[in-house]
Amino acid sequence: MKAGLFIATAVLYAIACILYLFLLIRGSDKAHRMPGTVFVMALGAHLAFLLLEPSPGEVPLADISQILSISSFGIGIAFLIASYRFHVTVLGAFVAPLSLMLFLASGLGSSYAPVPPGVQSAVLTLHIGANVLGLVAFALAFVAGIAYLLQERLLRRRQLSGIFQRLPPLDVLDTMGLRAVLVGFPLLTFGMVTGTFWLLRSHGSEFYVSQALGLVAWAIFAAVIVLRVFAGWQGRKAALGTMMGFICTLLVLVGYAVRAAAGSR
Amino acid sequence: MRDFVLVGLSHRTAPVEIRERLSIRPGCLQEELRKLAAHGRFDEALLISTCNRVELYATSANPAEALRNATEALAGRLSGSDADDALYQERGVDVVRHVFRVASSLDSLIVGEPQILGQVKEAFDSARHAGTIGTLLGRCFTQAFATAKRVRNETGIAEGTVSVSSIACELAKKIFGNLEGRRTLLLGAGEMGEAAARSLRQTGTKLHVVNRSEERARALAKSCGGRAVPYERLSMELADADVLITSTASPKFILTPELMKGVARTRRHRPLFIIDIAVPRNVDPRIGNMDNVFVYDVDDLQQVAEENLAVRAREAAQAEQIVEQEVESFLSWRRSLELAPTIVALRKRFGQIADEELRRALSRLDGFSPSDRAALEAMSRSMVNKLLHQPMTQLKAGAGEADGALLVDTVRRLFALSEEESAVKESSTDVRVEGNVTQLTTAATGSTGESK
Repeated sequence: MKAGLFIATAVLYAIACILYLFLLIRGSDKAHRMPGTVFVMALGAHLAFLLLEPSPGEVPLADISQILSISSFGIGIAFLIASYRFHVTVLGAFVAPLSLMLFLASGLGSSYAPVPPGVQSAVLTLHIGANVLGLVAFALAFVAGIAYLLQERLLRRRQLSGIFQRLPPLDVLDTMGLRAVLVGFPLLTFGMVTGTFWLLRSHGSEFYVSQALGLVAWAIFAAVIVLRVFAGWQGRKAALGTMMGFICTLLVLVGYAVRAAAGSR
Repeated sequence: MRDFVLVGLSHRTAPVEIRERLSIRPGCLQEELRKLAAHGRFDEALLISTCNRVELYATSANPAEALRNATEALAGRLSGSDADDALYQERGVDVVRHVFRVASSLDSLIVGEPQILGQVKEAFDSARHAGTIGTLLGRCFTQAFATAKRVRNETGIAEGTVSVSSIACELAKKIFGNLEGRRTLLLGAGEMGEAAARSLRQTGTKLHVVNRSEERARALAKSCGGRAVPYERLSMELADADVLITSTASPKFILTPELMKGVARTRRHRPLFIIDIAVPRNVDPRIGNMDNVFVYDVDDLQQVAEENLAVRAREAAQAEQIVEQEVESFLSWRRSLELAPTIVALRKRFGQIADEELRRALSRLDGFSPSDRAALEAMSRSMVNKLLHQPMTQLKAGAGEADGALLVDTVRRLFALSEEESAVKESSTDVRVEGNVTQLTTAATGSTGESK
């Protein structure tokens, strides 16, 4: 049952990817709602899958596979909200592949070790929860950044038919990127603080690559926000900064996953 | 047999110097039409006069002569050789196809441009008020409007902008999203720049005009609905602008990277969209490499226009198919107007009613001998014949006359004769039914006018 639901979810995400890409590249008035419908179905299947999965350990969210799965689901939901707010349906062409990738990665979870008992606490749940929500917000900012860079490139190269017509205006993408970072940054900060607190209490002052990367991501986002808000940064550089920040955040997650995988062997 | 004729010239056959000699002011159309249709030269007549074409459509029972008359009417205002080169003539179904193509904007200078349909509708209204529209032209043009609507809805012929100023607007929207409250700065007084500024103004941007001559700036600002600003304030205006249109006659670059760097401090990183319509260019191309500054010159915009036109040309092929379908449907309507099938249908209808009533009466009464029965049947038949005699004679006589088609059409409508064969096809759209009614009334008033 669970395996079946996993495959169904993955297939639906994959179909949504293809439909969204088709919408972006070919464009179609008639099938405008199709990709969205399939994507919502994928999210439905994903939710059923999440509800079916029993929490492995006493602390919810403590398993890396579950974190990946919930991040993927959260990005989908956040995208639906954003596409309603900013009219950016076509960005599904970037969001759906991201959701699919994270979801598939969560499927490799059998090789991931659950968090060892004894280190679980409410602080850990808060830490992970805040970081997952932050990751979701940064993912949207990342997608807006990709779309911005693509759109700007097309505008500069005078390739104005096709994809350029269907992508949202530069200003909309820029604003969306800024808002998402402004939402994600406090969550990331909270996640960092709780994480440090938990680390100090459970392990002492041991310092890992993941934590360093997390700090780099935090610094990048802080710089992006300061430059945007106080120096009026917009556009390409802001988009590039945001994308770098997201990649660092994602690498933190990859670092945990790899370590968990190594630990389980 | 009454048929269509067409004589005219368009951008395809004549340069503007010749077209303008023939063009007729909208106010004079009706008078012109009445003159043309006088002395029974044409049964119906319609004039289209736009900046790209002047065309006279007419119907007549004697098409060859009508064609001569129409050519004379138009050629009278041109010198001999010009008339031979510029004027084209069409007859019969080719006229119908031409009307459909013109209304669908397939024959326009810019294929797919939307104005022509309105212009044809106006021409049609003028002719209707002049009383020179009858059944044939009425039906033909009403169907042309329906064809144009189909072409616009079912093909992408009107998609993508093809004028420099609307392309500039679309690009601005793709950069800034909502243009409401953004600032456009117009620098210089070129005609294309003014057109672009006006289009941007219509999308809700505020417009400031800067010119070396303050008087010119004020005049421009007034005509476009903007504000004139003294030239000395240029750099301050640059700092505030979102869209900049340059179209000055300056031989050197006015916008240099140094000038832009000077205003960068105030502008910070806000995007700036520069449309350089001037030739030679006003904007140093190096500015295009600056962050958040997008520079488009007149060639770039022209190229977009050409790409969009190419898309339209592809869609036009599909539009031509729609036109052919509609021409076919028009022809089948015309065939239904022919006399013979109407007479047969009318006789059949009356005969059926008589037979049915006779059968019903006979079934209720008994005690008839076969001879009584035969007598009753003969009576019913002869009643039908007598009742039909006069209408048939009139119909046969009238069909050959000017408004014969109208007469046949009226009879078919009165007795609902078209219902069996073509009702499904013909009454599919409300537009057409409505069109038929107006045709009838205008044609009726037109014919009384003629008989006086």
